[in-house]
Amino acid sequence: MGPQSARSLLMSTVAILAAAAWSGLTATPCQAQAQSLTQAPTQPNQVGAAASTQQAVDPGVRGGPAGAGGHLPGLSQDEINFFNAAADIFQEVDGVEEGLGPRFNLDSCSGCHLQPAVGGSSPPVNPQVAVATANGAKNTVPSFITANGPVREARFVRNPNGTPDGGVHALFVISGRADAPGCSIVQPNFAAAVAANNVIFRIPTPTFGLGLVEAVPDAGLRASLAANGFQKRALGISGSFNVNGNDGTITRFGWKAQNKSLLIFSGEAYNVEMGVTNDAFPNEREDNPNCQYNALPESTTRLVNKTNSPSPASDFSQDIVNFAAFMRMLAPPTPASATPAAAQATPSTGSTSASSVHVASAGGTSVLAAAAGTSSTSAAASSAATTALTSRGQQVFTNIGCQNCHTPSLTTGQSSMTGQSKVAFQPYSDFAVHQMGTGLADGVSQGTADGGEFRSAPLWGVGQRIFFLHDGRTKDLKAAIQQHASNGSEANSVIRNFNMLSVSDQQALLNFLRSL
Amino acid sequence: MMRRVLYVCAAIGLAAGVMGGFAWNHGAAVSLRGTMTPAGPNPEDGKVANGSYKSDYFGLSYRLQPGWTVAETGPDPSQTAYYVLTTVVPDGAPNAAILIAAQDMFFAGDEAGNVADQARDLQQTLSTTAGMTIDREAAEIKIADRPFYRVAYSGVGLYRATITTEIRCHVVSFNLTARDPDLLNGLIQTLDRDLALAPVGAAAAALPCAKDYAMGDNVLHRIMPQPVGPRFVPIPARIIVNADGSVRHVHVIRATGEQRRSIADALYRWKLKPYQVEGRASPVETGLVFRFKGDN
Repeated sequence: MGPQSARSLLMSTVAILAAAAWSGLTATPCQAQAQSLTQAPTQPNQVGAAASTQQAVDPGVRGGPAGAGGHLPGLSQDEINFFNAAADIFQEVDGVEEGLGPRFNLDSCSGCHLQPAVGGSSPPVNPQVAVATANGAKNTVPSFITANGPVREARFVRNPNGTPDGGVHALFVISGRADAPGCSIVQPNFAAAVAANNVIFRIPTPTFGLGLVEAVPDAGLRASLAANGFQKRALGISGSFNVNGNDGTITRFGWKAQNKSLLIFSGEAYNVEMGVTNDAFPNEREDNPNCQYNALPESTTRLVNKTNSPSPASDFSQDIVNFAAFMRMLAPPTPASATPAAAQATPSTGSTSASSVHVASAGGTSVLAAAAGTSSTSAAASSAATTALTSRGQQVFTNIGCQNCHTPSLTTGQSSMTGQSKVAFQPYSDFAVHQMGTGLADGVSQGTADGGEFRSAPLWGVGQRIFFLHDGRTKDLKAAIQQHASNGSEANSVIRNFNMLSVSDQQALLNFLRSL
Repeated sequence: MMRRVLYVCAAIGLAAGVMGGFAWNHGAAVSLRGTMTPAGPNPEDGKVANGSYKSDYFGLSYRLQPGWTVAETGPDPSQTAYYVLTTVVPDGAPNAAILIAAQDMFFAGDEAGNVADQARDLQQTLSTTAGMTIDREAAEIKIADRPFYRVAYSGVGLYRATITTEIRCHVVSFNLTARDPDLLNGLIQTLDRDLALAPVGAAAAALPCAKDYAMGDNVLHRIMPQPVGPRFVPIPARIIVNADGSVRHVHVIRATGEQRRSIADALYRWKLKPYQVEGRASPVETGLVFRFKGDN
């Protein structure tokens, strides 16, 4: 990838974004809830919703340390060196000289994958607004991209002739940039697509722990999906796997589990999101001759080590190999049960305004600071109360049926990564695709997943996620839960169960989820 | 008795699979649901009308209680031939629901071989779930003069029962949920009053079903379907075979439109050995799974 200057630019960008992210991470739970209300959530599906003046509320983004972004435990020193060097490349900002464009959604991996740490999901401040006019570009920011909204890619559902499209239409062009003289191409007409209801969105998926996911044998995934079949059938749940058309194995990455491997995932994103051609995707998607500046593929194996980092493996490898290595060795998020700063909330009365949220004494960074001055007895009691709430929430999670798709635990097979064989981990996903109904369907078919199917989103790290569902339509975790229900959804019975719960049990579930 | 023996014998074989070798055609977004043939009802064709859910395929009629209505529709039939037939709920406060579902036993992939085993298996799973209590262990009960198996369980303030019976080699289940144990018990009792099943011996119920019958030497003339659409995806299909061995009805349960057409076009040209019941040729219902593969 790019020269040192690009790395410098990247570091400053990341620093800004990290600072923005940090402000969100250190918000008290009350602040976090207020933040969630700045973007009105989509009206939740109220089928079966309890008619009560008291309501459970999303505690908001969990404060405290990120608990993510580091490497897997148990790796060798060579692997750790590779991880660290790859992490730097994951954070680099590309210009046209490094392959950016001609069309792109952002200019770095970590710009999208940043919350709550590098490798994560959409940050609180959307970097797409700034990149639209960076370096002299004159892009119009589409209406669905906002400063405090999620990072998004856009897909058109249909072609102008009515046939299925489904492809990504990059938001921005390099025209006008100082490093793209002579290129004059225009953005797609997003306003028209929005008006025609012909555009859907996807937000970045977190990449934490994906090396473990990649290391689960197909047989393990199939056994997990088949397990507890009678229980699933009592709730309307089935599911299936998206499979690779070349070899028939399970694909498992992306919102529809459409990508086979982390390398394919990296290669596709590098080309589609940033416009950088590579050995997996060697051709430009936009072939206007006036906008071609580099030999292709723009990122390829380096024959000479000019970087001399502590990892020659990284230095010689092309960028997508580095990206895949970074994600493969990136540790899963640490749940709050292993850290002391879980956001907790008790039900609000009357409305869901931020002022009505009551923060449990045991939760949140600020409360922990206050607790430092209290007696050890009361601190212990608070901790016990927090544990009890979370434990009850976990019980609710399994009793109403969430775990039938958001499967808590999987186990790796034999892994070439040191110390990663036969490792049990907790992704809270079965990595199968399920029919999610008309409310979530995006009409886009990928692999063997149709327009209404989505992969069970892994819930690890959901406590520190800002935006929910494939298109980032809500910041409200409770709304996200209820959006699972609509005509045609496999989740309808589970959501009906959720809506039949007592308010306190709904709250326990939300608190549990925010502890993950 | 004969039906049971044949079913078990067929189950000894490996899971049904008819393999083709073929070119990959990356299908565009196509509905996976649709009726392949106009002849004969299929499991997903049941509907609520005039206050009752009726399924001609299962010979089943369930009268909704006053004040109850249909909830959201369920998903399309699955790759394992699981059907959400309907869900009914009371108007107003969300305090109860009944999900009626069916699992085709030809494609379930479960070890449990009959309804009783499956009820016990469900009980076993639930008994290991933290916070879940088994209120009534798996046991046979009579509803609408037919044997059902019931398991009742509760947890986190929800009271539930799963009540199952076998119809046409499907496990048909009534899954009841209520916020109150008395309400749940009342729902169970009303099932006996509000559920009607075709009597044993009626046309649909009398049709024998045999797993894996359309395999090996039982197939006298076989035309392989043209491979189209996504590869490596299991496509379950049920067929009804006439007493003379010709194929009367094809139901491709989950596939793209082009796959449905290809498979049905082929299956209608199959000829099978006549199925025997007590020494006489009989129509039979069976199933098979297609999975298109490619050479390269």
